[in-house]
Amino acid sequence: MSSDSSSSTSGDDPTDQNPNPNDKSIDATEDRLQSIALTEPDVVEASSCQEPSNGHRKWITERVPWSRGNPRGDRVKLVRAGKHQVVFLVKGPIYLVCISCTEEPYESLLLFLIQLIMIWMQMLLILTKSVNRCFEKNPKFDMTPLLGGTDVVFSSLIHSFSWNPATFLHAYTCLPLAYATRQAAGAILQDVADSGVLFAILMCKHKVVSLVGAQKASLHPDDMLLLANFVMSSESFRQFSNLTCLLASCRTSESFSPICLPRYNPMAFLYAYVQYLDVDTYLMLLTTSSDAFYHLKDCRIRIETVLLKSNVLSEVQRSLLDGGMHVEDLPVDPAPRSGYLSPHLGQHRPVTDSPDRFGEVFSGIGGPAGLWHFIYRSIYLDQYVASEFPSPINSPRQQKRLYRAYQKLYASMHDRGTGPHKTQFRRDENYVLLCWVTQDFELYAAFDPLADKAVAIKTCNRVCQWVKDVENEIFLLGASPFSW
Amino acid sequence: MATSGNKNINAKLVLLGDVGAGKSSLVLRFVKGQFVEFQESTIGAAFFSQTLAVNDATVKFEIWDTAGQERYHSLAPMYYRGAAAAIIVFDITNQTSFDRAKKWVQELQAQGNPNMVMALAGNKADLLDARKVTAEEAQAYAQENGLFFLETSAKTATNVNDIFYEIAKRLPRAQPVENPSGMVLMDRPAERAASASCCS
Repeated sequence: MSSDSSSSTSGDDPTDQNPNPNDKSIDATEDRLQSIALTEPDVVEASSCQEPSNGHRKWITERVPWSRGNPRGDRVKLVRAGKHQVVFLVKGPIYLVCISCTEEPYESLLLFLIQLIMIWMQMLLILTKSVNRCFEKNPKFDMTPLLGGTDVVFSSLIHSFSWNPATFLHAYTCLPLAYATRQAAGAILQDVADSGVLFAILMCKHKVVSLVGAQKASLHPDDMLLLANFVMSSESFRQFSNLTCLLASCRTSESFSPICLPRYNPMAFLYAYVQYLDVDTYLMLLTTSSDAFYHLKDCRIRIETVLLKSNVLSEVQRSLLDGGMHVEDLPVDPAPRSGYLSPHLGQHRPVTDSPDRFGEVFSGIGGPAGLWHFIYRSIYLDQYVASEFPSPINSPRQQKRLYRAYQKLYASMHDRGTGPHKTQFRRDENYVLLCWVTQDFELYAAFDPLADKAVAIKTCNRVCQWVKDVENEIFLLGASPFSW
Repeated sequence: MATSGNKNINAKLVLLGDVGAGKSSLVLRFVKGQFVEFQESTIGAAFFSQTLAVNDATVKFEIWDTAGQERYHSLAPMYYRGAAAAIIVFDITNQTSFDRAKKWVQELQAQGNPNMVMALAGNKADLLDARKVTAEEAQAYAQENGLFFLETSAKTATNVNDIFYEIAKRLPRAQPVENPSGMVLMDRPAERAASASCCS
């Protein structure tokens, strides 16, 4: 399995793969993470390259420990090769490798491991952990054919490491919707869950509209991320859906596929009924029964009828256009306002609120006190909300850089060696970063690099108050199938 | 299983074949009249329905377009169980896909519904220059194994509707006639008649 064409080294011994440190198969000029997974017989040794004082590069080979005899089967090895860091994670017979050339500090090891584990779990979602048995029977077993056609799934996941905070927060995010709208969606999903569906999940892109689990069944945010990534990256689920046509009769394709939720049960397949209800919105009904297709099809018809009748689908589209929380809208007055709703959320958007106002009024400014962006993670809900990006960080490159900064912040807050910290304030040439961890929430905020510390802290308090004021609309509250 | 009520027949149809043989493309052509050059690999199986009028009946096909990827092979029975018809698809420019098609035929003969109507589709018939499997070879194999064979092209639409139409014609029309063991008398015939007439 390879993440992209430039790292398609699966099955090769790394010692042969890169005898020349200048070989472009590890591209030092590109600031990116490459990840590959190798199987046990493939990797016996790894090489590290050191630069002695005479300038001649010398390869030093280290033995990577085999996992035999280790009941948990997890081993980690970090190899430094010049500017590169190579991280090996051994999961039973599967070796996961990531090569980084971003010169990250040591604390990034935690992030690399999180990412490698996500890649491993994405593989389990497709094959289940019983693939290990194939290696027990035959150590030379070639896993590549079993993963045929899934390159896009892995490359999409690896791409999401640089834009989707869910990959390191272990939380999911909701599409902002009026409380009543989300309740209407939840009610019909609950209805089908009571009829033998294990999980019913309605999503719009990578955001949750509503989700419901059968009694006692809990869905882990990681499983949701991997499932959404699997569905969204596979064109097959969208095929035949005439995207210009919103009538149900225009869509003829429904998919029924075995999938495994690694956090729910890594050994067993569930069966997923998937259908797109419009261009971005899709319904996933999960069951343990391989015979349930026609039942799930009936459930989908019932759900879709209710969603159309109660205008949920049009509200979803509207919310997608409006976006979520904009830092420019942060209320100036921190006093609690009963019944206050953000102009961008729910149905109470004032008509005077013209969509082009940012371009004119707030261009290049961001929010009050130099606030550029924030992520608020509710610990007991397993959910997070991230603000929209304002103009100071509107390019994908800037956004990626900010996420990387957040990731480092997250790693330093959660590193078992030093943390958990309560608050952290960092200032560099790009941002002022503020992180605040309590029992109830984690807040990550980015400010203009010249922002004043005291004002930034005050602003963070206002952000938390704001999130609480609109939590009915940005979070899925109550009836959550999550275990907390 | 094909079920008939008046002259409406519901028939479950499954497409089987190697990766890239063109199963999804055949279905897309049949159901939508469309063709895309780079069809993405199917995940699990996709379900479609399409109705076809033949001389004496209306046939509603419930089509299972299965994934050709190896990891889904063990799940195929889930999709072909109870199917009234199967189209086994291979790519005429790929010998391996023909070998794989033969394996599917064997599996259906061993595990499938014994009355199943089976069609062999030699797809990509527009790529004559790259042909690796001759029409004669496939025809001979089909005849030996009781299948009917057509060379199809999802790209040019050649023979695509025809293969589904031919299947529709061959589906058994009235189940009781085929039952050689005779009429089984029920304890409550009136109730049975009532329940049979309500699902038209």
